[in-house]
Amino acid sequence: MSFTQIARNCGRLAAALGTKRMASSAVVQSQAARMMHRIAVPAVANQVSQKFALRSYSAKRTIEDIKFRVLKVVSAYDKVTADKLKVDSHFINDLGLDSLDHVEVIMAMEDEFGFEIPDSDAEKLLKPADIIQYVADKEDVYE
Amino acid sequence: MAQVPLAIASHKRQVCSLYKRALRNLEAWYDRRHDYRYRAVQMRARFDENRCKDLGEGIRLLVCGQKELFETKHFQPKTFANSAGGCAFEREVIPPDWLLDYWHPLEKAQFPEYFAKREQRKQQYVVWWQKQYGKPDPKDLGHH
Repeated sequence: MSFTQIARNCGRLAAALGTKRMASSAVVQSQAARMMHRIAVPAVANQVSQKFALRSYSAKRTIEDIKFRVLKVVSAYDKVTADKLKVDSHFINDLGLDSLDHVEVIMAMEDEFGFEIPDSDAEKLLKPADIIQYVADKEDVYE
Repeated sequence: MAQVPLAIASHKRQVCSLYKRALRNLEAWYDRRHDYRYRAVQMRARFDENRCKDLGEGIRLLVCGQKELFETKHFQPKTFANSAGGCAFEREVIPPDWLLDYWHPLEKAQFPEYFAKREQRKQQYVVWWQKQYGKPDPKDLGHH
């Protein structure tokens, strides 16, 4: 063992003692645990990914998914009473919004789904069901 | 594109469009959400104030609003990625449907079922079109 290696080991020990403030027998253990941690990183990651298997970027969206998001955005709008809201409720007749409120709802939809809805399409989207169908058509989601 | 104006837009639609563009303009100027919301509420109050004006006054106000929007326009407005001016605009070109009709017959022969069905669908579309818009004038048929 060269001098530099000894010095390095002493330094590691001192660092472990300094941070953990443990007895010297425990230091050896904690160092082993540290090494184990380094070796075992892929295994841990594997366990995690099994537990949270939802993380797949190519997952196909479903109509239910879009419906949930649309209703969430509409119910978050402060002039809509959430218990009156249904998929088929008309924004202007049933929920009592006016045309400027409707513009704001459509803008919230644009922000949620990340694409622009032109005015000519927006004026036809008068129910949450219409918006769900429109978004599904845009993103190629079928039943 | 769906944005080609096929009819003269009504006054109400123009006001809605102005409101939307005004809000997007504010969003571009004020990137902090709470600042933007404050300005947006003020903008909404300005629109609500002129709700019950008569049409002549409304048209004058609309022109004023459009002028104001033009004058306060942001120099680098935010756009959605896939809309005009966005970073991914026309990045993915979706080939038009009629391209399949120009496949070589040998290429078409590799997918016989699909192209048989496609011919049927074209017939159905012609029937639907004639039902919707009537028989085409024989003068208009064929290429010029």
